[in-house]
Amino acid sequence: MKVENSQFYKEVTSKLGGETLTKCYQCGTCASSCPVARITTRYNPRLVIKNALLGNRAEVITEDAIWLCSSCYNCQERCPKGVEIAEVMYALRNIAVKEGHVPLAFIEMASNLINEGRLVPVTSFSLRKRETFGLPPLKEAGVTALNKILTSTSFTKTVEKAKEAAK
Amino acid sequence: MTSYGLFLGCTIPARQPDHELSSRKALAKLGVDLVELDQATCCAPPPIESVDLKSSLAIAAYNIALSEELGLDIVTICGGCFQSLAKANALLKEDKHLKDEINTLLGKVGKEYHGTREVKHYLQVLVDDVGLSTIKKNLSKTLDNVRVASFYGCHVLRPSSLLNFDDAERPKILDQLVNATGAKSITYRNKLKCCGGLLKGYEDDLSLEIAREKIMNISKTKADCIVTVCPFCFVALDMGQLLIRRKFNEDYQIPVLHYPELLCLSLGIDAKELAFQAHRTRVDSLLNKIT
Amino acid sequence: MDKPRVGVFLSNCDGQINKTLNFKELIKYANGLAGIVYVKQNKEFSSAAGLNLIKEAIKTNDLNRVVVSADELITSMVKISQAVQDVGLNPYLLEVLYLKEHCALPHKKEPANATKKAKAMILAAVEKVKLQEPIKTLEFPVRKSTLIIGGGLAGMQAAIDLTDMGFQVTLVERLPVLGGMSSYAGKFFPTDDCAPCVESPSCGLNGITNTSRKCIYRSGFSEIPNLNILTNSDIVAVEGVPGDYKVTVEKRLIRLHSPSAYPPPFISLRQQTHAMKQIFEYKGKKERITLDVGTIIVATGFELYDPSNIKEYNYGVYPDIIDQLALARMLNGFGPTKGSLIKPSDGSQVNKVIMIQCVGSRDERYNTYCSSICCMIALKHAKLIKEKFPEIEVNICYIDIRSGGKGHEDYYEEARELGVKFVKGRPSEVFLDPETEKLIVDVEDALLGKFLELDADLVVLSSAFVPSTGTEKLAEVLGLDLSEDGFFKEYNAKLRPTETKQRGIYISGANTYPKDTPTTSLHASSAALKAAKFMRTGVITKDQKTALIDSDLCGDCEFCPVICPYEAISLKQLDDEHLVAEVNELLCEGCGTCVGTCPVNAIELRHLSEKQILAQINSLVSDGGKDLKVLAFCCSECGGTVLDSAGMAGLQYPSNVRAIKVPCTGMLKISHYLEAFNAGADAVMVIGCKEDGCHYEAGSEKAKIKVDFTKRLLGLYGIAPERIEMFFNVYIEGLDFVNEAKAMTEIVEKLGPLQREIL
Repeated sequence: MKVENSQFYKEVTSKLGGETLTKCYQCGTCASSCPVARITTRYNPRLVIKNALLGNRAEVITEDAIWLCSSCYNCQERCPKGVEIAEVMYALRNIAVKEGHVPLAFIEMASNLINEGRLVPVTSFSLRKRETFGLPPLKEAGVTALNKILTSTSFTKTVEKAKEAAK
Repeated sequence: MTSYGLFLGCTIPARQPDHELSSRKALAKLGVDLVELDQATCCAPPPIESVDLKSSLAIAAYNIALSEELGLDIVTICGGCFQSLAKANALLKEDKHLKDEINTLLGKVGKEYHGTREVKHYLQVLVDDVGLSTIKKNLSKTLDNVRVASFYGCHVLRPSSLLNFDDAERPKILDQLVNATGAKSITYRNKLKCCGGLLKGYEDDLSLEIAREKIMNISKTKADCIVTVCPFCFVALDMGQLLIRRKFNEDYQIPVLHYPELLCLSLGIDAKELAFQAHRTRVDSLLNKIT
Repeated sequence: MDKPRVGVFLSNCDGQINKTLNFKELIKYANGLAGIVYVKQNKEFSSAAGLNLIKEAIKTNDLNRVVVSADELITSMVKISQAVQDVGLNPYLLEVLYLKEHCALPHKKEPANATKKAKAMILAAVEKVKLQEPIKTLEFPVRKSTLIIGGGLAGMQAAIDLTDMGFQVTLVERLPVLGGMSSYAGKFFPTDDCAPCVESPSCGLNGITNTSRKCIYRSGFSEIPNLNILTNSDIVAVEGVPGDYKVTVEKRLIRLHSPSAYPPPFISLRQQTHAMKQIFEYKGKKERITLDVGTIIVATGFELYDPSNIKEYNYGVYPDIIDQLALARMLNGFGPTKGSLIKPSDGSQVNKVIMIQCVGSRDERYNTYCSSICCMIALKHAKLIKEKFPEIEVNICYIDIRSGGKGHEDYYEEARELGVKFVKGRPSEVFLDPETEKLIVDVEDALLGKFLELDADLVVLSSAFVPSTGTEKLAEVLGLDLSEDGFFKEYNAKLRPTETKQRGIYISGANTYPKDTPTTSLHASSAALKAAKFMRTGVITKDQKTALIDSDLCGDCEFCPVICPYEAISLKQLDDEHLVAEVNELLCEGCGTCVGTCPVNAIELRHLSEKQILAQINSLVSDGGKDLKVLAFCCSECGGTVLDSAGMAGLQYPSNVRAIKVPCTGMLKISHYLEAFNAGADAVMVIGCKEDGCHYEAGSEKAKIKVDFTKRLLGLYGIAPERIEMFFNVYIEGLDFVNEAKAMTEIVEKLGPLQREIL
């Protein structure tokens, strides 16, 4: 196997969330603390970081390993070097999404956010249920403000592009 | 009693009326004054952080700014919302450069994040503001002999250095609050381990396998019920038992309650007033034990 | 000052530099200078004959100042210096310059300019030496006695070395027994020999040969005649100066069973807890003892970090999770379990042992450093277990195995051959399985790529080594610095090992960094040697190359006591309650950092006054003409060596660059730079030691601050800030200097003369 992008670590460490990547000394505490790694060989945080450090950019960005992190933060809590592993996973995902590699479920949730300001849509069914249980009516979400922000950060554009790539 | 800005998030108001109902009732009974935030949005949890971290920070800061405008600290019901907002609050308070960048974005919608308020989870409010002894005094029924497998979930606890909630390796808050109702919060194997909830929707098999291990560990202790804090954990363990029955043919029938539901029961609120019908795993065995 | 009668001696280095430098011109030039009464050229001034020429000239012409351009860097100066002293001239009234390395060789390609520069260099040397007054030699008394703090292996080794050399030693130890860590360790790697043993003294104790290392109780240590041992004692206060310290010791009056304080073959946990209680909770009678000593050696050792903080490992929650020290006790035949490996919880048999490395070491949350000896300690215990109990399974979970010393890699191989197992992975958790009631170690075996749940009867944590309790307080009492890791700070491990910022106080052993025994012995002997050199003649002789403070000008701003790297300046109260700064000449090393700091210019160096600096500046850059001048201020340590190395290597740089030497760039003031510009420099270079390697601790760092300020100042007046620049170089960077000099010259050629920007 050839290493295709030995400068990849610089790309990661210059991104928000990825700054601590190079502190890793591969001790494996993260892997041992990970609930997902224990039950599937498809994900191992130590290996993801190793691949990122070495420069296997395509593997890290296109394969689904980085999407299997359950964000439990057990790794980050216990890392002796202060590597923010969960945040690094987000940084890697951010890179992947920009290039169109992202599971459909995430695109859906992101679209809901853009359209309704919420991760999950509020159906008329849920509104009726609320009434039945005597809950106060749902306050309006700040969708307009949200969208202004999301346009400024190119979030909306990124999601559009990812939607196109998924088709 | 201090007032708090109530941040509901999206999942609870949209999908878990039982959770919202029991929370509102319990907190109201204990005198906690909540002012619901208007024009709030999703807190920007992991699925959104996965798309873009900066946007997520901006969204979290926006919501905190709403509470800052009211001069109130925020309280969340959902454990996930707590982490999103508290983490953002801690990061932006520390890093001036980042804060300035985020405020440039918020400026476009006429808001500013100052970093002057705290983000709390209602469990903290119960322990710090209300107090365990007050809760005990307000009980109308102590839940004696009820053995509870408490589950904190991940996002109220970690990353502990940013959240300021409890000790991540030896947390006490939830156990204390469960014990305050007269029930006994028991230990079980891998108590603090993730339930796999966030993988649901795109890696259902993995998610279920992780939840199943948890259920199995709990079932070995013969607990009377599980108590959760986060809506995703609730679904993973409650709906999870249904899916486990279908896929693995294992029937556990361990009732799963949102903590506020347990609290309501001990505060004398009738089970009929809570929305147990929304649960997927029957809670009869617990209710029978209590009455 | 008497009228100067200067003699100038120019060596043409056996004809080597005649082709580049026009000596006829140089001699004519020298003869024309004010105060010169004698000029001589010769092919050398190194041999007896050559030096004799100088000596005779001094006598015959009644010279009272001498300038010599010598044959060879530095060694020539030593010889010439001795020669002038032989004929009664104070050696500081001699100025040596090196036209070969600093002019002829690097400017080979521009002979005319080289000669021009040589004239400037000669003038600078002459003007400097004319202003120099004789410098006398000072003597300070030094007591030939040492206080050693800490009676572990390092302290004992230093005590033996010093007493063998004839010095009086008092050894202070806070425990009731000597031996330090060796009392608990059992055996030491890599030889697996007994821990509590020391060299025996060579003073000739009856019945004790000194031919080999011996058990402490057999070494005769406590019988060494010029050794006074104070156990159960602490250091309360230290006052005085190097060579004459007054130390107050407090001794707890506890009745000891054995008068000699030898360590028992085994200290039980109860005894140790009792001993530590005695130290920190003692309420009984104490006795104060005062000691007068010449030097102090600090050998306070280390202890194990308490891993209870690392909650995921549950140390302190389950009794079968222990540290390596507890394991050492168990394996020790005299220990609580008489050498058998049993579970502390219920005394049942141990079948599976798991060791975890790097517990609290290499960890940002606890101690960031590697404790360096725990891998070997774990291997030692693993080997001992397998040798004695081959059926017991031993598994070591590690991040890296560090086995770097002599014989250490073989030791590692022996462990593997005995069947010790290794898992490359740092465990995330150690917990008790509620069902099986067994301890489980959760770890990813990175090499296998598999997740292991190892059950264990005994889990041994290789916890970090940290400085002994009380290190912070002792550092305060002694006036020593601690490094970021909490251990004592050596002045500079490479430049001045075992020395500290307090002259006369040395540190050795594990209190600077965790070490194994052979290294500790070496370190201790090294400290003893340094102390011995300091005390050997009973007198410290040093030339009065020190700072002189004009107390009339001193405004009591209190900057200089703070800035002095040697704490050589203190404040003295005059009769009118006004405070003035005063220099302790024993401690002062003449770097001049105080000179560079004093806001009212109240301080000067006896060997380099303000007038002398200005005279040199003027001589070097005001020889007129259209040539652009770059004046380089160089320190006398690393910074200045680049001129030497560039010259010696024959590298070429522009002759525009002329250099002036100062002891330390920390001495330089903004006014010096401005004077340089004023005198005719078009650019200024400042060359000092590397920021973390300044030979006077932090001088070059301070110089940079002033250079940066000068840049801003120039900018405010519309002058290009690029005209002044700071560089940090060491000897082997001669080529870097050449590039820096060329770059500076190019910048100044582009900018043009300074006059153009001012007018």
